Amino acid sequence: MERFAEHIAHVDMDAFFVEVERRRDPALRGVPVAVGGTGTRGVVASASYEARRHGVHSAMPMAHARRQCPALRVVPPDPRAYGAASEAVFEIIRSFTPRVEPLSVDEAFLDIGGLRLHHDSPRGFADALRAAIRGGTGLPSSVGIATVKLLAKMASGDAKPDGVLVVPAGTERAYLAPKPVRALWGVGEATHARLEQLGVATIGDLASIPEATLCRRLGPSLGSHLAALSRAVDPRPVEGGDVVKSISVEQTYERDLEGRAAMERELLRMADRLAARLRRAGFAARGVTLKVRFADFSTITRSHTGRAPLDTAHDLYAAALALLDRAAVGERPVRLLGLGGDNLDDAAAPRQLDLASGGWDELEGAVEEVRLRFGDRAVARARLVEPPATPPEPGSGTPDTGRQAP
Amino acid sequence: MLSRATRAIGTRSPLPILQGVLIEVTGKTMRVTGTDLEVTIRTDLEVEVLEEGTTVIPARLASEAVRKLPPGAVVLQAADGEVEITGGGPQFRFRELPADDFPKIAEPDLTGAVEVDGNAFASALSQVAVAASNDDARPILTGVFFESEGGSLRMVATDSYRLAVRDLPSMEAELSGLVPVRALRELKRTVGASTLRVAIGAREATFASDRGTLTARLIEGTFPNYRQLIPESYPNRVTLDRDALLDAVDRASLVAEDHIPVRLMLQEGGVELSVIRQDVGGETEHVPADYAGQEMTIAFNSRYLNDGLSVVDGDEVVLDLMDPLKPGVLRGTGSDDFLYLLMPVRL
Repeated sequence: MERFAEHIAHVDMDAFFVEVERRRDPALRGVPVAVGGTGTRGVVASASYEARRHGVHSAMPMAHARRQCPALRVVPPDPRAYGAASEAVFEIIRSFTPRVEPLSVDEAFLDIGGLRLHHDSPRGFADALRAAIRGGTGLPSSVGIATVKLLAKMASGDAKPDGVLVVPAGTERAYLAPKPVRALWGVGEATHARLEQLGVATIGDLASIPEATLCRRLGPSLGSHLAALSRAVDPRPVEGGDVVKSISVEQTYERDLEGRAAMERELLRMADRLAARLRRAGFAARGVTLKVRFADFSTITRSHTGRAPLDTAHDLYAAALALLDRAAVGERPVRLLGLGGDNLDDAAAPRQLDLASGGWDELEGAVEEVRLRFGDRAVARARLVEPPATPPEPGSGTPDTGRQAP
Repeated sequence: MLSRATRAIGTRSPLPILQGVLIEVTGKTMRVTGTDLEVTIRTDLEVEVLEEGTTVIPARLASEAVRKLPPGAVVLQAADGEVEITGGGPQFRFRELPADDFPKIAEPDLTGAVEVDGNAFASALSQVAVAASNDDARPILTGVFFESEGGSLRMVATDSYRLAVRDLPSMEAELSGLVPVRALRELKRTVGASTLRVAIGAREATFASDRGTLTARLIEGTFPNYRQLIPESYPNRVTLDRDALLDAVDRASLVAEDHIPVRLMLQEGGVELSVIRQDVGGETEHVPADYAGQEMTIAFNSRYLNDGLSVVDGDEVVLDLMDPLKPGVLRGTGSDDFLYLLMPVRL
């Protein structure tokens, strides 16, 4: 299938922290706002566009910002709220493509080359993504799209606020030419000074200098790097930064588990949690790992990789029980249990069906829908209705990338 | 004979002594015993006995050595902790293993044994063994389940993706138990013969012939209730030439390898068989068939389909289907003694 020529998108949230604050306090709309430390040594973490017009920018000491803009509304930062908003934004981004390379809480590169089937143009994609982010979170974002990362990022900057800029293939050098060389990655104070000595002010100036000359003046590494960038050559691909390799849940018990019945009940609970996480992430696991930590802290793991991908609690529980048998835990007290899935397949990929699991798929799919609408406790297995040994900790699951799976 | 007993020996036995075969010479007979504690194979041979005795020798080395000797009589002689194997000139010497360490294994128990036609038994076994699992994570599925159905013998195996059921109406036998497929796969090459005696006790199954005995510890646990998995009726039935479909699946497998499903589009007049592999390409072809039912596309793992077609009876096969997410059942036309049920791949 033909790909978009302009296949790299850079998504950047507009004044992210400020917009999150505005979402819960509409009084902050339309006025200059800065999020940041309110103390004497505080600095600006994020400034609204109204504040930026008064010269307020991020990393500026807050006292200085207040002098620049006496009307400035200063809001102390709430990292938890920004984290939650960031997760919501990334979840929406990942619903468009799994090829996402996050750069920070509020920006990411996306490879959209393969999305031609779904969107008629790169701009069409950008409009749909921004509308989805706005619709899902109420937050504004900007998108730049180009053939290479360097230009995509510059384009999203030029698109701000709340806009889209596509740099069409073939126009890259024309787009770059008038920009100051400082806009290039790798051009700091010192390099800038040396380029000025060469009479270089814009990227166009830089592109007109032969690479050999740049290498002689700046050293071979920096010289060829800048020569390439100035000619819009940037071969770096979008790194699917956090390809999820496994998803697992685990639980430490306040009182050690003793006996097979207690272990089975807890494993059923974990299978249920793991299945929900896998389904939400759109995965099915061919590999299942059971982790058992005993009261003396000795730990064993048992894994099995099968042919059929699993994503129902029924199947995961059966796999966990088989592993428990192999682990020969006996009557030893257990302080921690973990259950993980790996060798993850796309849940929508063709799937070998299993004689034993007929029907569970649909049942659990229906349960999942109820939970998404009414919360995780809305539906539970009869066996699990009695209270757990210790209440489950929210978010104790850990994809091995350290990032919450989408 | 040595090599037959050697087939019982596991490749990764935890006990060094189990890498050996026990040789017992008494009266006019030499008995060779190999075991991995789960499966034990004993073979008896009438020999010219010069001296009675017992020894344990390294199984693989000794059986290879005997194989490589020139044709003719072989002499086995134990002395001073070594066993000498000679014949036609060459002379091998192997260090003995301590005979006292060799596990004490009870005599084969043939109580209640039934005599069966060894060839028919072996061919029935090979039909169901393809469906058994080799995955030790679920031991229950690594066996062939024997039971009595209407007074005659039935064999069943499933790896949870397919299920094979074979009835042997000619064998009236009340046998019941779950026998490891690993042991059964060795049956033909070890004690296979035209007449076989079979006994399944509470803990062990024993197979005996004039070539020796094979004893296998039964797998504990309850075999899945396979009867409920077999649909009562099927709205869609396709009848086709077995070899034509087998060849088509074989061609498709070239592209599908083991992980891409083969799609069967069923329509009046035949089956459009196709396989599509994103990064490689694909294959399609038409297989003529009689089809009574609604048009539909169902997909199967090519190996599972191939396995079933390879063992089903007859030149013409019937594939009964309900819908693309329910099992398909493969049978030989006009044959009710064997069925092979396989789960589809959901596309």
